[in-house]
Amino acid sequence: MKKRLYPLILLAVLAGFPLVVEDNYYQHLMILFLMWVVIGSAWNMIAGYTGQVSFGDAAFFGSGAYAAGLLAHHLHVSAWWGMAIGGLAALAVGFPFGWICFRLRGAYFALATLALNEVLRHGTTIAESFTRGMLGIMIMPTFVSKVPYYYIALGMAVVSVLSVRLLIRSKPGYYFVSIREDQDAAESLGIDTHFYKMLSLAFAAFWTGMAGSLYMNYMGFIDPHVVFSLHDISIMAILVGIVGGVGTVYGPTVGAFIMVAVQEMFRSGFFGLFKFLAETTGSESVRALADVLTKGHVLGFGLLVVLVILVLPNGIVGDWDKIKKKVFRIHSPA
Amino acid sequence: MRIVRKGLIGIFVLVMASFLCGAASAAEPIKVGVVLPLTGSMAKFGEIERRSFEMALEEINAKGGVKGRKIELVFEDDTGKPDVGRSAVEKLISRDKVPVVTGGYSSAVVAAAAPVAHQLKVPFVICTGAADDVTEKGYEYVFRINPTASEYPEATKSFLKGVAKVKTAVILYENTQFGQSSSKAFEEDCKELGIQVLMKEGYSAGAIDFKPLLTNVKAKNPDLIYMVSYVLDASLLIRQAKELDINPKLFVGGAAGFTLPEFQMSAGPAAEYVFSATLWTPNLRDKDYPGAKKYFDNFRARYKSDTEYHGAEAYASMYVVADALKRTKSFTPKDVRDALAATNMKTAFGPVKFISYGKKTQQNKLPTYLVQWQDGKLETVWPKDVATKKALYPTPKWSARK
Repeated sequence: MKKRLYPLILLAVLAGFPLVVEDNYYQHLMILFLMWVVIGSAWNMIAGYTGQVSFGDAAFFGSGAYAAGLLAHHLHVSAWWGMAIGGLAALAVGFPFGWICFRLRGAYFALATLALNEVLRHGTTIAESFTRGMLGIMIMPTFVSKVPYYYIALGMAVVSVLSVRLLIRSKPGYYFVSIREDQDAAESLGIDTHFYKMLSLAFAAFWTGMAGSLYMNYMGFIDPHVVFSLHDISIMAILVGIVGGVGTVYGPTVGAFIMVAVQEMFRSGFFGLFKFLAETTGSESVRALADVLTKGHVLGFGLLVVLVILVLPNGIVGDWDKIKKKVFRIHSPA
Repeated sequence: MRIVRKGLIGIFVLVMASFLCGAASAAEPIKVGVVLPLTGSMAKFGEIERRSFEMALEEINAKGGVKGRKIELVFEDDTGKPDVGRSAVEKLISRDKVPVVTGGYSSAVVAAAAPVAHQLKVPFVICTGAADDVTEKGYEYVFRINPTASEYPEATKSFLKGVAKVKTAVILYENTQFGQSSSKAFEEDCKELGIQVLMKEGYSAGAIDFKPLLTNVKAKNPDLIYMVSYVLDASLLIRQAKELDINPKLFVGGAAGFTLPEFQMSAGPAAEYVFSATLWTPNLRDKDYPGAKKYFDNFRARYKSDTEYHGAEAYASMYVVADALKRTKSFTPKDVRDALAATNMKTAFGPVKFISYGKKTQQNKLPTYLVQWQDGKLETVWPKDVATKKALYPTPKWSARK
């Protein structure tokens, strides 16, 4: 019973967060975290549960963001309308793509997703007259306060995680896992693998697109390199999934929190800790270390991921029992 | 496993400590926030700007700071990405509680960060990000010192009108916000001058081979090749133009990479005769650009490398901010904003005054210049009254060079 309470406690903490912490900066980080929960959960569905690894999440993210942005730019309506069509726009991209490319398996499918993203990125860059190309789309964010964005992001994160939970405990969910484990065996049992792969992709595309339109509304600025970024969106989605735990319901939530926190920690030199140490001790070597750490934040980030993959191949949630045993010496009464 | 456990506790303590020390605010100096790309693909320029900010800061503090207090700069790395830049500005405003933010190198970062400053009502003095529409949105708290991207080719335009009367042009640009907006502006200038644009094509910044693109250019045989590129692309373009023996009457760079010393080092003799638009040179008249030469010499003496217009922008930004802090009634963001709006001073980067014209608000307007690489040196060649050397035009054919 206790286990079922954890998500509820977490939800209560998250719901109360902006009321307690009024600092814009932390609220901003939390919004990013919630957005990554949505994207990570979506990626987890297609890659973690269905076993179709996608390197092209940015394609859906960007489609959602551009749907909202273009709507606001051309029709001068609020970009919030984009939230309604952002997910659908991503679906519209994902559907024909899946239809054609699900004939490919494994690494070949992953490569196709990579190509999809590149096509969209170049397309939006070149179609200047329609998308403004690299000038990007800039809108004025609706709210000054971050609290509305926070709750919208929280709502999306909760619904997306719940929908993952519901879906994987239903029949299609079991079909997804069977496709991941052995597509041929699943097929021979009479599962329409093409259809169920499409369904899983549709789910992933929809939620990633929703996150994209939230990004447009929240950030107020997008350009093709930002939203169709292989490194900042697609790879980050994969990392969120891997660090948290592939094929677990709450894995992406944990992964998103860790990745956003770690990224910010490295970028800001551990929230100014080393700079502070250097100033108080006046030591040149600490100062030099702080300098190296801040400058090498991308490297540090990469090393951390390597470490997680080596030590916890199933991610933090996936290997939770292992962590409990080895680090906290708690033995599950199994 | 005990070590792991201890390690975990240690990390926890470190993280908590870092939260705490972030909360303890410094008492005496006035903090000024600076966002710059200190890592990532734009780090080169971020570094020049950071050093220039620090140089200006030391000079100001050595003269007693402002109102008897010293200024302290809080640098934040935006890594050249809009979302990171946005969180950096948010952090500066809400955690470091700075009354004014400056810096801002990449156009995309500036475009994402400007609305934050506007909404949180803390002035943001942009030193470099040149995208036109940032100052076209009527943001009350956003000021910009450098001219907008569409104004960079002004001097080039008058040079083409007065001296190099060419008929055809090819425009190549990197697919970035800066590249796209400056190439578009130049295309419009060409239309106005009656120059036929035979080809206008973007490429991905950081390309490794321009030969397919340049082969097309060669087939078009234009009088003028206009390029908007950063330093590596710029030198590769010129070197490959030499290899393919492309002979326009002039090569013109649209600022950015073509004015850097690294361009000349990497392109070698191929850099000769190449023109570039620029916003600043160290040889400008002291009347309007007081301290330009001194800044250039000091920078070189101190860091053993050259600086260029980006650095000058940063250097001047520090002075503009300090000037506003001297005049402000109090150190609240509102008062600092009002002081900034009343800025009217001369800096090493030229006269600074935030005015409204066209759609733009709180935008500084500056003349631009045309420079040319001659004997390995960057010489100002246009407008005539500030020229250090006469423009060498037309460019000799590659085969006719030594």
